[in-house]
Amino acid sequence: MRAVARPVELRLLLPLVILVPLGFAVTHIAQTGLPEPGPMAIAIGYVGLVLAAHLALRLLGNRGDQLLLPAAATVGGIGIVMLNRLPQDLLGTDVFGVQMGMATTQLLWFGVGLGAMVLVADRFRDDGILRHYKYTWALAGTALLIVTFLFGREVNGARLWIFVGPVGFQPGEAIKIVLVIFIAGYLAEKRTLLAGASVRLGRLRFPPLPYLLPMVVIFVIVMLIVVVSRDLGTALLFLGIFLTMLFVATGRRSYVLLGLVLFVAGSLVAYNLFGHVRVRVDNWIDPFADPSGTGYQTVQALYAFGRGGLFGEGLGQGLPMIGGHLPIPALPTDFIFAAVAEELGLIGAVALLGVVTVLVFRGLRTAILARDDFSAMLAVGLTVSLGLQTIIIAAGNVKLVPLTGITFPFLSYGGSSLLASFVVVGLLLAISHRSAIDAQAEGRAA
Amino acid sequence: MTGEVLRILLLILQLGFLGLLYLILFNFARSLLRDLRTAEVTQLASQSGIGRLAVLESVADDPGTGNTIALGPINSIGRNVNSTIFIDDDFVSGTHAMLTFRGRSWFIEDQGSTNGTYVNGHRIDRAVALSFGDEVTIGRARMRLER
Repeated sequence: MRAVARPVELRLLLPLVILVPLGFAVTHIAQTGLPEPGPMAIAIGYVGLVLAAHLALRLLGNRGDQLLLPAAATVGGIGIVMLNRLPQDLLGTDVFGVQMGMATTQLLWFGVGLGAMVLVADRFRDDGILRHYKYTWALAGTALLIVTFLFGREVNGARLWIFVGPVGFQPGEAIKIVLVIFIAGYLAEKRTLLAGASVRLGRLRFPPLPYLLPMVVIFVIVMLIVVVSRDLGTALLFLGIFLTMLFVATGRRSYVLLGLVLFVAGSLVAYNLFGHVRVRVDNWIDPFADPSGTGYQTVQALYAFGRGGLFGEGLGQGLPMIGGHLPIPALPTDFIFAAVAEELGLIGAVALLGVVTVLVFRGLRTAILARDDFSAMLAVGLTVSLGLQTIIIAAGNVKLVPLTGITFPFLSYGGSSLLASFVVVGLLLAISHRSAIDAQAEGRAA
Repeated sequence: MTGEVLRILLLILQLGFLGLLYLILFNFARSLLRDLRTAEVTQLASQSGIGRLAVLESVADDPGTGNTIALGPINSIGRNVNSTIFIDDDFVSGTHAMLTFRGRSWFIEDQGSTNGTYVNGHRIDRAVALSFGDEVTIGRARMRLER
């Protein structure tokens, strides 16, 4: 384990040293009208944490992809500027009698997340632990999901939280990763079987079901629990990840087609069976039918995008409060993309999506360069989980698809989401580290 | 300081924030492009082919632990020195197994060896399709198929 230089990463991280404090200063000036930078502790803390993570990766000799951390940190930096600018008592935690504001809490979770990322990037260089115990992982994940469903605490009509003392956690985020590990392990083992064999019925070719069965059973159990706990966004995300990985493993369009047919059928059933699904879809088709009731958040988000226009209202100059209340109650979590678009405009929102695209691009590159099927499948699944999550929530914000309550990776307020997203980056760093080491050894041998 | 001056200051800072954001994006784009160019060059340099075997564990010097063996489409594995992949180990039969690339996948088939061929710890009794990352054990040599 020898220290390595990560010059590209450092060069990409340095602008953040100015960006985040500048964002804090602009919002402070805009909100108070005083020509002073205002309190900087959180901004400096954030930049310090990111640079510390960079340094830790160097000292541990990680040769993984150098664009992953800067991309995540840039999105996170914009997120903490936005969260710091909102009223701090909105969300926040009370840990052992110490009351913390929203931005402080988020900063704390950034510390935990970055720490976990470094640890995962270092510990999982050898993927054996993940690959060989895939059924154990799947079982542990499903058990966690059932425990949450039975004993979790209900927040906003969905039972997704487990509380250990004062600290709450959403196991759904962890299960996302565990599910990807399981599917990757399963598909890597059975890939040649799946790609080769198929059952023919007349002119149609169907996947060889016996080979797929164990995976499909576990997947259906997970989906059922997720749907029953009313976590629609997560259900959609899981399905998208599953179909993408299946397609990547087999190269068969018929699997995806079959999946989409099942999805449409399932959606129709859900629409007719569950009231909350119907509300979401009706709001999507016409939020103005009930603009002060169920369609309220969507309508306010659309207004926010409209106010932002091309160049935005300016940081700290949006309309976060109407009569002492947030116009959008879920602003820090589900609708933070709308807030960014209001204050930074279309160009700011596009830049943000551009940075996420860099993250996805590098994740897929990690998959292509991976030396074995399991690592490749794992990298694809993890990358797609981040990318798809961003698309689902951003598209939900602009009313392109029905809104579902999931977080914008690295941007939204929320510890579980941050932690899970950073663990994903850590795993990608571990995978790309392994291929970099292999390529180097090969270069020396040649 | 008047409100007018403050507004201008705010506008400048605001533009600075957006400008910096796009500078970061530009930096990303530059790194991506540079990486693509070098990737092209290295790919041209190493028309690496269809796969290779990484030797994870071996009692023999040939092949030694840590070596990688480049693979052609058809490879015989055995203690016979004419084998494509020669393993100098008493537990390996003369012609032990065949490792072949057919269609889009790798296959391994035991050639009636005394001690058997193992894939991921399971002894095989017919031609078995291999995935990249699978471990093949022949005699006391443990090897992994990689791309």
